[in-house]
Order: sequence, then structure tokens, then C-alpha cells
Amino acid sequence: MLIAPSLLLACGVIGYPFYEIVRLSLSEVSRFGQIRGFAGWDNFIRVATDPIFVDALIRTLVWTVTVVGGTILLSVPVALVLREDFFGRGLARTIIMLPWSIALSMAAIVWLWAFNADYGMINATLRQWGILAQPLQWMARPETAFPVEVAIGIIVSIPFTVTILLGGLSSIPGEIYEAARIDGARPWQSFAFMTLPMLRPFMNIAIVLNVIHVFNSFSIIWVMTQGGPDNRTHILVTYLYELSFYLGRPGPAAVVSLVVLAIVFSATAVYMWLREREG
Amino acid sequence: MRQGWTWLAGAFTALAMVMPAKAETVRMTVSFYSAQTGPYYEKMAEEFHKANPSIDVKIEVVNWANLLQKLQTDISGGTNADLSIIGTRWLLDFVKDGIAEPLDPLMAPGFKERFIGPFIKPGTIGGKTYGLPVAASARAMFYNKAMLAKAGFPNGPKTWDEVIAAAEKIKADGGNGFGLMAKGTEVDVYLYYALWTHGGEVLDANQKAAFNSPAGVKALTMYKMMLDKGLTEAAPTNYTRDELQALFKQGRLGMMITGPFLMNQIAKEAPTLEYGVLPVPVGTNPATYAVTDSIVMFANSKVKTAAMKWLDFLFTPAPRIAFTKGEGFLPTTIEEAKDPAFTENERLKVFVSLLPNARFAPTVTGWEDTAKAVTDAVQSVYLGTSTPEAELNAAAAKANQSLGK
Repeated sequence: MLIAPSLLLACGVIGYPFYEIVRLSLSEVSRFGQIRGFAGWDNFIRVATDPIFVDALIRTLVWTVTVVGGTILLSVPVALVLREDFFGRGLARTIIMLPWSIALSMAAIVWLWAFNADYGMINATLRQWGILAQPLQWMARPETAFPVEVAIGIIVSIPFTVTILLGGLSSIPGEIYEAARIDGARPWQSFAFMTLPMLRPFMNIAIVLNVIHVFNSFSIIWVMTQGGPDNRTHILVTYLYELSFYLGRPGPAAVVSLVVLAIVFSATAVYMWLREREG
Repeated sequence: MRQGWTWLAGAFTALAMVMPAKAETVRMTVSFYSAQTGPYYEKMAEEFHKANPSIDVKIEVVNWANLLQKLQTDISGGTNADLSIIGTRWLLDFVKDGIAEPLDPLMAPGFKERFIGPFIKPGTIGGKTYGLPVAASARAMFYNKAMLAKAGFPNGPKTWDEVIAAAEKIKADGGNGFGLMAKGTEVDVYLYYALWTHGGEVLDANQKAAFNSPAGVKALTMYKMMLDKGLTEAAPTNYTRDELQALFKQGRLGMMITGPFLMNQIAKEAPTLEYGVLPVPVGTNPATYAVTDSIVMFANSKVKTAAMKWLDFLFTPAPRIAFTKGEGFLPTTIEEAKDPAFTENERLKVFVSLLPNARFAPTVTGWEDTAKAVTDAVQSVYLGTSTPEAELNAAAAKANQSLGK
């Protein structure tokens, strides 16, 4: 009874936008949000038959899997190194964490400059090393632009993931390694059979939180390529933005956001379930 | 005692003079054209306030890329300003939803006649004036004099054949010949230059997509051929208009088509660059693209008369000349066009001379979708995924769906 007011508030805060989105998705809506009539499933059919949407949906999955996968693969060794006590560890930790303090869109702008074909730092370095003879137009083709965006997605996700993993590592008592060493375990064995299993719950949380975050990551792709060229770097959120604000179609945009909502909701459900299981 | 009464009466009179009946605030959303846009409007608002102490004008500058999104959000929430600058091609959407106020009943006699005919026409829908042209520009070809002289065209190329011949020479010298843009806004328009000058049209008389005509295919095939032969900069899909203009300012690009604002930029950033301005190259006929931005008044404004008074002031010669000169646009009112700043500028004259053959974006719903479909087609042809004909046909089908045909 005592929580009723806050429960009501929470329901209103969550429920009203949801109601609006559902209403928009079923209506014929003008650019400025005026509802012109009931559209039935028209918006849904229009979105489902749009090849750009289907492409973006697949690309969103590729984007999420590669960014999160790459982040975890890189974060584990980084966290392991940062756990060791070495000279300058504080500095190294700070450097690893630094990208976290920069707004995502700012980071994306800086990287866009770095990858500029004519005066970008990346091309200049590669040419100095003799790897490239001609400047490479990174952002001109989706085949190069998208991997670059994935790489940046990984870089900006590392700090958060390393933080979680470091927390996990510090919860593993040092004595068991000593015991393992006395029993003759090699370093890789103690990593594979002790560190990894004991890190698993933290890994799971890192993966799920990253999935939710990366899935909705808008700034990197929007700043660097706006989903182009030829719509071939769109993920769902950038496509949603373009639909709503560039093409002025709030109806179909509402449908896309329902799809996004459904996917994020299932990811969240998995997260809740994992937490429950780990108690 | 009597003295006291006089004093009090005097105090009231003074108060009445300081605080006029009721101060009205006119809010205006302004797009960011350059660093001078904001200061210009602030200054005008101050001058206007001096002459009309009862009206306060509040200016809000918004980046062009975010303008439509901001207006959309503001309007949906009912928090929009009283006036705003918009792209004239968006106007129909505003009018259809009853968001824009027809200005004719508010205008002083003779106000509408101040404007140059072709520029006010796109702001008129169904016989009513909704948008006042605040900025106008046309497109022409800029060429680097040194590079073109070396290529054997000291006066610049006049036809597409000459452009190609010149670009071949420039390429042999290791330079970038003709600038193609295939990223960001106006990628579609860049194709239309070649389409129009080959006798094509974007939409036919029934507002149906017509850019996939033989002229359109020819235009896109020509660009693609130039790209394949290396007559353009490498990878046009990496170049927005600004990035191409940057190349041109650095003296690393032979030719490009863009608006008069590049002249202001060159004067400021690359004053030593020797360049000329020519009409858009001709295929079978001359053509160019002209574009206006308009000021609209929102129907939900509560200070319409005051807002119109401010507009009236903005469209008097002195404020107009200051604005148009500062931003590097074309004059939109008859009086300002007589200023020597415009009549004695040889390069600007080229732009003005193109106006009789200029095309404006048609006021149809679905124009943004058409632009997007054509942009996608151009990009996939440049990336080599498909042929011009197939892509343009696919784009036409998409555009027709949005155009309601």
C-alpha cells in the first residue's frame, strides 16, 4: 500500500510513452505528429517490407555481437594485466579508463578526424610505415567504414568492461593461485580452470549490460557515416532516427522503436534471469 | 502638499514612459548559416527594439542539420517560437498540417511587391503567401584558374565535354579534376545538374518521378565514367559539399559546382586563390538549381501583428543588404539588388544571370524521400554495386511510392 504512489508514478512514466508509441505505430501520422487517421497494420507492413530495415536489423545483430565479443576478448587480458602489481599501474589504469570520460559523440568526431583520408592521423601513420602507398578512403565504402566503427565501438566499451572484470578479479582470493602453483599448475592452466570459471558471473553481467548499451549505440555510427553510404552502415537506431527526423515519418519510426524495445526487453530479461540464477 | 501631488503625477508619467502598456515578445528561430548569423540577428533585434520599444525580439540560433528535428519536436510539444527560418521545400508539410500562418492579411500594402518574383513564388501555396524568402542562392561552377589554364582552358570549361577534356589533362598532371560529392545533403542535386543540362526533369508534369529518363541515365553514367577514369577526386562517397569545398580552397581541386557562399569562404580562408565562376556546364541546354529559405509564422503565435512588424523591418533594404552581403547569398528583394555590392561583383553576376534557367525544388510531399532515393542510387552506382539504369529505376519506384503516384 505504501509503495502504491511510486508504483503508479513508475507505471505512468513507463506506460505513457509506450502507449504513445503504440498509438503512433497504428496511425497515419504527419511529420509534426498530427494523427491523420487509423492506419491499422500499414506501418508494420511498410517497415517489414523495407529492405533497408531488414538489412539494418541484421547489421544490428552483427554490430552487437562483434562489438561486445571484441570488447570481452580484449578486456580480459587488459584486466589481467592491470591486476598485476607493476610500476606505473595507476597510470596504466588511468589511461585505460580515460576514453570513458569523453562523451561518445565527441570521441566519434575525434576518430572521424583520425580516419580522414587526406589529413587523418591513421593514414599518415600507415603511409609513414610504408604500409599504404595511397591514402585509404576509410569512410567512403561500407566495407571499410563499418569495421572501423566496430573497432571504435570496442575501444569505447573497454573501460566499462575492464572495471567490471577488475572487480571480479579482486574477489578471487590470491591463496588459491598459490595452492595451484604448489600442485604444479601452469599459468595458463590456472587461468583456464580457475580465473575464467570464477570470473564467469562478472563476464555474464558485462556481456548483457554491453549488449543493451551497444545495441542502442547511436553516436558512433551517426557521427561517422549517418548510416551511409548507400544505407550500408545503418543499425536500427540510426535508421529510426533517419525515418523520424529526416524523412518525417513518425508512424513507421514508431514501429521500428517497438522492435528495438522488444529486443532490448528480451536482453534485459536475460540479464534479470542471470542475476536471479547467480543470486 | 500641492508639491507632493505634482511629484506623484510626475512619477506616474515617468513610469508610464518607462513601462509601455504591455511589452510583447516575438521569438524567432534562426538557422546557423555562418558565425555571423547570430550576431546579425541580435543586432537587428536591438535596432528594432529601439524603434519599437514595446516589442522585444528573442533570437534562437539552431544548426541547419538539426533545425527540422528541433522544429518537429517543438511543434509536437507546442513550444515553438513565433517565427522560424525553414527550408522552403519543407513548407508544404507545414501548410498541410495548418502550422504555418498565411501572411497576406498581415502584410502592409506593397510589402509583397518588395520581393523578386521567382524567389517569393516557392513560398506561395494555393494563392496564399506562407514563406518569405530570407536567403536565396543558385549554383554555378567554380574553377581553379591556374589548374584550368594549364589544362588548356584559361577561361574555364563551358560544356561537359570540355569539363571531361580538362579533367583528363589535370589528371595527367596528378591533380583532381572535377569534384563529385556523394555524401551528405544535395547529393541528389549534384546529379540533377547533369540531368537538367541534358534535357531531363526530376519530376514530370504529374509530379511523378522522371529522373530515370534517358537523360538521367546519361547523367549518372557520365559521372560514373569520370569517376572510373580517375577524373574526379578519389572516393566521392567520402566527400560532403563542405569537404569538396575544403579541397577547392586548398587549391587541390580543378572544378566543382556549388553556391555563392563559397566566394565568402575563399575571401576569408584562401584570399590568394585564383578562381573563376561559370555557369553549370551545358550538355544540350543550360540549367542550374536555385534554392530559397523562408521565414514562416506559426499559426499558434499570440503576437502575430508584432511579429509581422519585425518581418517588415527585416525586409527593408538596409537590414537585407547587411544580411545578404554578410552571408554571401543572392538578394531577394528588388531594392537590395540595386546595391553596388551586388551589381558590381562580377562573380555574383554570374549567379544572378543563371536565374532565368534555374529550377527550384518543387513543393510536393515526398521530396525528401525522393532526394534520399536518388542519393542512395548515386552512392550504390559509385560503389560499383549496380548500374545507373537499374538503380535509377529502383529509386523512381521508391520515390513514386512516397510521392503518392
